[in-house]
Amino acid sequence: MTPVSSKLYTDDVSLLVVLIDTNPFFWNSVKSNLPFSKFISHVLAFLNSILLVNQQNQVVVLATGHNSCDYVFDSSVAQSQNQRAEHLLQKLEEFVDKDESLCREESVDGQGFSLLSGSLSMALCYIQRVFRSGPLHPHPRILCLHGSPDGPGQYVAIMNSIFSAQRSMVPIDACVIGTQHSAFLQQASYITGGVYLKPQLLDGLFQYLSTVFATDLHSRAFLQLPKPAGVDFRASCFCHKNTIDMGYICSVCLSIFCKHQKKCSTCGSVFGQAQAQDSSTPPNPNPKRKTPMDA
Amino acid sequence: MPQVKIVARNFMDMVASLPAFKLDKLYENSFICEAILRSLPPLAKKYVLQMLYIEGPVSAKWLEEWVLPDGVSKHKVAVDRLIQLRILTETIERKKETTYLLNPTFQSNLQKHIVHGGVLPREPMASNITVRLPTLEDLDAYAVQQWEYFLLHLINSTEAEKSTNISSSMMRIFQRGLLNQKDDKEPAKLTESGFQFLLMDTNAQLWYIIREYITNCEEHGVDTADLISFLLELSFHVTGKAYNLNTLSDIQRNILKDLTDLGLVKLQQGRKESWFIPTKLATNLSISLADTSSRKQGFVVVETNFRMYAYSTSKLHCEILRLFSRIEYQLPNLIVCAITKESLSKALLNGIAADQIISFLQQNAHPRVAERTPSVPENVTDQIRLWESDLNRLEMTPAHFYDEFPSRDVFEATCDFAREYGGLLWENSKKMRLVVKAEIFPHMKEFLRKQKQ
Repeated sequence: MTPVSSKLYTDDVSLLVVLIDTNPFFWNSVKSNLPFSKFISHVLAFLNSILLVNQQNQVVVLATGHNSCDYVFDSSVAQSQNQRAEHLLQKLEEFVDKDESLCREESVDGQGFSLLSGSLSMALCYIQRVFRSGPLHPHPRILCLHGSPDGPGQYVAIMNSIFSAQRSMVPIDACVIGTQHSAFLQQASYITGGVYLKPQLLDGLFQYLSTVFATDLHSRAFLQLPKPAGVDFRASCFCHKNTIDMGYICSVCLSIFCKHQKKCSTCGSVFGQAQAQDSSTPPNPNPKRKTPMDA
Repeated sequence: MPQVKIVARNFMDMVASLPAFKLDKLYENSFICEAILRSLPPLAKKYVLQMLYIEGPVSAKWLEEWVLPDGVSKHKVAVDRLIQLRILTETIERKKETTYLLNPTFQSNLQKHIVHGGVLPREPMASNITVRLPTLEDLDAYAVQQWEYFLLHLINSTEAEKSTNISSSMMRIFQRGLLNQKDDKEPAKLTESGFQFLLMDTNAQLWYIIREYITNCEEHGVDTADLISFLLELSFHVTGKAYNLNTLSDIQRNILKDLTDLGLVKLQQGRKESWFIPTKLATNLSISLADTSSRKQGFVVVETNFRMYAYSTSKLHCEILRLFSRIEYQLPNLIVCAITKESLSKALLNGIAADQIISFLQQNAHPRVAERTPSVPENVTDQIRLWESDLNRLEMTPAHFYDEFPSRDVFEATCDFAREYGGLLWENSKKMRLVVKAEIFPHMKEFLRKQKQ
C-alpha cells in the first residue's frame, strides 16, 4: 500500500502559466525570422502536449501586450477538448484588438516594450489563488515566451514579482525569442531556479519547448537542463529608470539612484550629513559598487 | 507461511504483459496511445515528447547526456518501461552503440493529437434532445453507492439488502482469494488479502476487480486486447454526458452491463434509444494508481483515548471499522467505536498489518484533523504498533540439535563453522551441545563428515 502523505497529487502534475509576448512592435521587427502565426502554432502544439502527458495538468495562458495583459486561456474552465485552439485564438484576437485601441491613447512607458511586470503579477495572483484553494494543488511554474526588449521603467515591479515568486517557490522559466538577451528574465530564472534559454534556431521552437520547458518540476531533479552562461545583474535606477553599472544605494531602504541625491525619494531619509560636516572631501568620493541582486 | 499479497497492479502492467502483436495492434487506437503515455513515469513521458518529432533512431548517449548522476536509476526505469511497452525499440549496432526508435504508429498518433488537440471517442448526446440527465453530484453518489453495494456483496455481508445483478458465478470469481470457506455450514471468512483489499482505496480496489474481470473474460474467449481497448476508451468519455448505446458492438454492450453493476456507467433508457453515462469511476480508469485525486473526503476522527468517531452513513465504512475496532454505538450519521486490545488482536490475527490500519486511519482522516500533523494521535499509532509486536514475541526457527561430540576440538570447530555461516543459534560449551538453523544443515553434514575422516 502506498504511504500516505499530505500531498495527494503525484509529483509530476503541473500548473503551467504561459506568458505570450504579443507586442506588435516586436513581432513587426522580427517578421523574417519567425512570424507570429508560426510561433503561435508551435506554442499551441506545446500546450497540447502538456495537457496530453497528464490528465490533471493545467495550462493558463496570459497575453502580454504593449499596454495591457489578460488571461486568454485556462484549461480548467470546461470547454470542448477539440476546440481549445479556436478558443484561444479567438480570445487572443480580442485581446490584441483591445490592446491596440489602448495604444492610440497614452503609452505606458515609451515605445517597443511589453508589459511583462503586469503579466508576471497576474500569473502570480492566479497561482496564489490556486494555492489558497486548498491543500490539493498542482505544482505551479511560469513560462515567459518573451521577445521584446526590457522596459527599464518596469524594473522595480518586475523585481518585486520575481521576489514574490521566489517566496512562493514558483520557478520562472524564460524562453527568449527576441534577438537580445533579457536581463530581467535572466535574473528571474536565476533567482527562482527556473530555466533561461535563448534558442538558436527559432524554426525548431517546439523541439526546444518540448525538450526543455515541458520537463515537470519533479523530473528536473534528475536532468541536466541548460544553465545560463552569465546573468546580467545590472539594475535600473529609481530616478530616471536607466540601466546602470554603478550607482548610489540608499542605506535605509536600498533604493538605487544614478546620481547623488539629497533625500531618498522612496523612504525620505536625508543623505549627505557626513559631507556637509567635512567640506574638504570631494562631493563624490566613491560611488558605492552595486551589489548583485541575488538573494 | 506463504503470503499472498494483493498487489493492486496497474492497468498498464497488464497491457505491458500482452504479446507483442497485440500490443502493436492496440497502438492503432489513439486513445490507447494517450492513456499509455499518461501512465508512464514522468521521465519517460518527457523522453517521448522529446523524440516525438524526430524521425529515425536516436542514440542512447543523446538521452543519457541529459541525466544527472542522481537520476541514472530513474532514467533506467523510464527507458526499460518504454521498451517493455514496445514504445521504444532498442537496437545495438556493431559499434556497440545503442539506438532507440520510437514506435511509428504510436508516434504518428501522438503527433496527430498534439496538432489537432485530441478528439472524443464518440459524440455525446446532442444537447437538443430533452432528457433529464443526472447531475454530476447525483452521478458521483450513484457510482459510490453502486460500488459499496458491490463491496458489501463481495464480503457476503448481511448488511447488504439490495441484490446486485452480477451473476453469482462472476461474484465467486471476484471473491476468489478474498474469501475463504472451510465448509458449507460456516459462512465464508475474509482472508488476509480480503482484509487488505477492503482497506485499499477505491481506485486500487477497482483495479483489482477489473483485472479479475479481464482474466475471467479471457477464459470465456473474449479477446483481452479488445476488452482493454474498450475500457481505456471508456475512460476518455466525458463524465456525465450520455452516449448512445447503438454505437457499441454487441460484445461491448455485454461488457457495459457488467460495468453498470460495478457503478462505472449508468444506463438511461430514452424513449427510442438507450444511453450510457460514464461515471467518475470509469473516467479514472486510465489514471495511474498513484493519482489519487479521486480520493474521497475522510471521515474518521481518532482521539488520544482510543475512541474513533466516524462521520459516515455508509454501511461499508461500518463494516471496515468493525474489522479492527469495537463499535460502541451508531447514530444516523455517526459511528462511535473504540480501538481495544481485543479488537485489534482479532484484526492482527486475521492478517491485517498494524501499518495498514494506521495508514487507513491516516488516509481517511476527517478534514478537520487531517490538517494537523500527525492526523492520528501518536500514542494511538504507537500502541497499535506495540500490540502488533506483542503478537510477535515468539519467533519460530526450524533448527537442528547436536550433542555427544567426540572431543572439545571438534565441538569448537563445529561452533566456528556454524558461526561463519551465520547459522549458530545456541551453544553450551560445558555439555558440548549446539543448535543450528535448519537451512545450514547440509553444510553441517558435509563438515562433520570431513571431521570424522
